[in-house]
This record gives sequence, structure tokens and C-alpha cells, in this order.
Amino acid sequence: MGIWDTITDLVDAATPWSTVEAEAPSSNPAGAGPASESASEVATETVDDSKSTEESSDESESKEEDTEDEPEEEEEEEEEEELKDPKETLEEECRNSKQCAPAKHHFEECVERVENGSKEDCVEEFFHLTHCATQCAAPKLWSILK
Amino acid sequence: MLARSCLRSTRAFAGARNGAINVSKRAASSSSGPNPEASPLRLNLAAAASTAVAAGSIAWYYHLYGPTAHAMTPAEEGLHPTQYPWVHEQFLKTFDHQALRRGFQVYREVCAACHSLSRVPYRTLVGTIMTVDEAKALAEENEYDTEPNDQGEIEKRPGKLSDYMPAPYKNDEAARAANNGALPPDLSLITKARHGGVNYIFSLLTGYPEEPPAGAQVGAGLNFNPYFPGTGIAMARVLYDDLVEYEDETPATTSQMAKDVTEFLNWAAEPEMDDRKRTGLKVLVVTSVLFAITVYVKRYKWAWLKSRKIAYDPPKAENTQHRL
Repeated sequence: MGIWDTITDLVDAATPWSTVEAEAPSSNPAGAGPASESASEVATETVDDSKSTEESSDESESKEEDTEDEPEEEEEEEEEEELKDPKETLEEECRNSKQCAPAKHHFEECVERVENGSKEDCVEEFFHLTHCATQCAAPKLWSILK
Repeated sequence: MLARSCLRSTRAFAGARNGAINVSKRAASSSSGPNPEASPLRLNLAAAASTAVAAGSIAWYYHLYGPTAHAMTPAEEGLHPTQYPWVHEQFLKTFDHQALRRGFQVYREVCAACHSLSRVPYRTLVGTIMTVDEAKALAEENEYDTEPNDQGEIEKRPGKLSDYMPAPYKNDEAARAANNGALPPDLSLITKARHGGVNYIFSLLTGYPEEPPAGAQVGAGLNFNPYFPGTGIAMARVLYDDLVEYEDETPATTSQMAKDVTEFLNWAAEPEMDDRKRTGLKVLVVTSVLFAITVYVKRYKWAWLKSRKIAYDPPKAENTQHRL
């Protein structure tokens, strides 16, 4: 890996743009413990230290403003409605769509047979229906999920 | 059959058309047989018998080893998971590290109750999932054995970054005893260890139907999951909407949590993926540069040869007259 590190260093030195560094998450909602809060504070302090003293005084003021904003955001969080899983709704739509109509038809027929005393199981029909539904819902689901 | 009939027909055809030449040839090759009249029948019989033996042996072999035994029903095979369009599986895409952070939260709050992640140390979280201080704080929440002290006793110390994630159970037997005989597998390499990888994990986590299909047999203490081979899985559905509260305020639906934790488990199984893809691109870049240099150097070196002009000066007219 040595040669690649060297090449990376050379490329980093030559390129006019800088490498993107991950920042510590700025806000700490109620879920995070006190330990992680103190940790992120330490992180922000060290960031401030590296800058010039004039800037750091400005930064600390703006940081105070940020911390004032946080409680308001937390209040908004609690007003959320009850969640509905998009996967279930999408797959239900797909199950009832034209695309999966044959599989659904077979599954329902099988269920009817079993209810009338047939000693089979509908696992295979269920597989076909589920396969069709998930196949149809997969791209739509990924466009919704983060 | 086809081969046999072809053999025989060619033989008969050849014998009918030029029998004399045939006979003389046979006499030369087989050192003067005593009765040349009986030989065609005997030869035909021998050919037929050997062909029958050959065909029979092939048939016997096929009868013994030919057809594959499909003992499995679809239920025993399990439903094959759907291919989801994972972004991190694309050629030059990295993990979504925000999703990894969410997925690690899901693992810690949900999965870690039963599943260990024993091959992942805290240090690997630094820079990929959390900051150094967060990881240190997380490690210090758990106690680990120290080296023996002066009295030879092993004490406890808070965890360090170099420590590995603690397992929920002391050993496999304890895990089985706590889980009705079923062993929750270690999740460190689980996406590599299962067919279908991330798609399987995601489908398994989200695929529990509300009730098993009609007529399906579900064993005692088992749950129906179509993706699990045999469809009877000891793990019940664990992910429900709003089970965890994400710190980045992503709505914690079941599929969102499953997606995040699956991506996290994929990271746990191959943490080198981001670097690997980067190195791969570097290889392509360097190789293409080297190829371009090679082409340039070749053209440069061959330039004198490719650009030379061979001129042929025809001899003068008076010189050619000598030939006549």
C-alpha cells in the first residue's frame, strides 16, 4: 500500500481542492447520552483552537446562538404523526396491480382450496406472489428511503 | 443407433460397389483368414455388440449419475430475495456513512441484545461512523479484563478503542439456552456468509408476513419467514416502526431501519470496500496513463521506420538492352 499512499499524497498536494473531512454531528438530540455530548463539545473546541484567536471569539458567539436554536427543533420532533412503513403500502399496491394479478389469483385459489379441506400448503403460491410484489416495489421503495 | 446404422450402411455400400478391392485389402491386413465368406456377418455382429455395450454403458451411467436429485421443495429452499438497487453496490459508490451511523444505532439498540459483533473493534468506528471521542466514550461503557496485576488477579478496566465489541452471551451454549435452543449468529461477516447478502438480510428483516400462508406448517417456537430456508425461523420479527429514534430525524420506519442496519452490517463485513474501490480507480487511472505512454513511446520509436520512403529508381533504358 506504500506506493498508493505516496501517490495519494502527491495527488492531494497537487490538486487545488482540499479533501473533505467528516464533521462531528452538530446537534445532540435527546437520544444521545451525556458522554457523547461532552465528546462533541471537546471536538468543537479543538476545531476552534486551530483557528486564529480573533475568529475563535466570533465562532464561540455563533456557537452559542446555535445551542439556543436546538431546543426549538426538539419540540418540533414530538409533533410527528404515526409512521406507516412505505414498504408495506408499496407492496400492497403491487400485489393488487395488474402485474401480479396471475400470482395473486393462484394464491387466492389455493387459499380457497385449503379452506375447503385440501391438505396442501400455499407456500409456493405465496412465494410467487411475494416475489412479484417485492420485485415491483423495490425501485419505488429505494426512491423513498434515505 | 444412428452411429450403428451408419457404420453398417457404409460397410455394405462399400462392399457392394468394389468388393474385389475390399477383399484384397482385408486379406492384406488380417493375415489371410481361413474362410472369407463368413467374415461380414461376424464383423457385423461384433460391431453391433460393441455398439450395444457402448450405448448401454452410457445409459447405465446416466441412470446412476445423470439426473440431479431435487429433494428440496421451494419452502425448504426459501424465497430468493429481490435484488434491491443498493447505492453502495455500484461500481464507484461508497457506503452512505450517515446510513452507517443510523445502522449502528439500530444494531446497538435492537440487534445487540442477542447478536454479537465480535470481529469489529471500536477503533474501526472512528472516522467511518463516529468521532474519536464518541467511540472512546462508547468503549468506556463496557468493562474488559486487565492483564494480571502483582497478585496475579485479573481486574476489570473500562474499554479502550482497541477492544472488540462485547458479546451479549458468554458462549454459544449460553446463547442457545437463552434463545430456546437457537443460536443467534455473529453478525460481523453475516452479509458475506449468506446467499443473497444484503438483499437477503434486508428481505429477512422486513419479510415477516402478518400471518403465514394457508396450510403452512410452523413449528413450535418458530416464526414464518419466507426468505429463511425452511421458512421456520426462531428469530421473531424485531423491527417495528418507530422502534428507534434517529438522531438525524430520519423517520424510523421498519424498512428504513432494516436498510440502515443492513448497510451497516455490510460495512462490518467488508470495511475495506471504500478504499478498495478507490484503489481500483487508481489502478485504472495509472494503467491508462501507462498505456498512453506506451503508445506514445512506440510511435516515437517507430517514427523513423514508419515515415521512411523507399524509392525505386528504375534502371536506364540502354542497360536493359543487354538481355536481348
